[in-house]
Amino acid sequence: MAVSVNPRIPRQSMARLLKGSLTDRILLLISLAGIAAAWFAVQAVVASGPAVAEIYHGKTLLATYPLPKAGETPKSFQIDGELGPSEILLNEDGVRITSSPCSAQRCVYSGAHRHAGDMIACVPNRILITIRGSAKRRFDAIVE
Amino acid sequence: MGPVILRPPLAELQQKANWLALLLLAIGLHVFEAALPSLGPWFKPGLANLVTLLALLWLGPRAAVLLSIGRVVIGSFFIGTLFTPTFVISMAGGLTAAVVMIAAWRFIPGISLIGVSLLGAIAHMVAQFVTVETLFIQQGVLYFALPPLLLLSTTTGWLNGALAGYIAARLEFPNE
Repeated sequence: MAVSVNPRIPRQSMARLLKGSLTDRILLLISLAGIAAAWFAVQAVVASGPAVAEIYHGKTLLATYPLPKAGETPKSFQIDGELGPSEILLNEDGVRITSSPCSAQRCVYSGAHRHAGDMIACVPNRILITIRGSAKRRFDAIVE
Repeated sequence: MGPVILRPPLAELQQKANWLALLLLAIGLHVFEAALPSLGPWFKPGLANLVTLLALLWLGPRAAVLLSIGRVVIGSFFIGTLFTPTFVISMAGGLTAAVVMIAAWRFIPGISLIGVSLLGAIAHMVAQFVTVETLFIQQGVLYFALPPLLLLSTTTGWLNGALAGYIAARLEFPNE
């Protein structure tokens, strides 16, 4: 018969368990307050100025490109990372990695990004792309 | 008469068998989580970490740390990421989470498994970012991606803690 004899782990229903102890709730509150403060601080830094994509390799900032608006010509180029060249495409959808020498290809599958604070990180190839500034929406409104 | 073979005490064998069972479960969950559709870069539900928490309660801090190391090494072998950056990031996250959970369970009064799991999940995510920033992409802007991911971590940490509490209350504790 499997019975708990540890007084710190009482046998409770899942609904009761999910509520947590008072200490747990205080820890949750502190964590959420910290996350919210960090979120607003990050948004204040990244959302200012025109929308640009910054491309890094390791410690080096390789390039900063403005994000093309609707109707502007897309740009495509290669940058050299740790494993080899990564292909980058900038168009009205934002910035995306279209090919990468890494095995997981998570950076490629993550698709296009254009919102302030978005980033694409290819850790094996040590490439990081971040978006700063507010990108104007391609549509002023979407009406059904 | 042949030589007498001394057997280890039954309780010790039982502890080892329990540890091995948890290790196999953690490896299975590690591989399962790698096969799940990605919920975002570097984000997983943390089910394998839940097993580290169970090992901490059931078998003690040393067993939890060893399980965390064993799970990442053997799990990475199965999913083909052994000694890649992914392996280094998983190891850093798993070990930091184990150490933080041990400290929280031992030193924070009134904490339940939910709080322990919550702190473990947050430590796991932060350790991953620090590792990437230190070893692979040395850019502080990387931390800008942390707040939304930490929000997901608090959610999964809370849920996994409740799940761990449910399971742990139904385990047999032979030494207590």
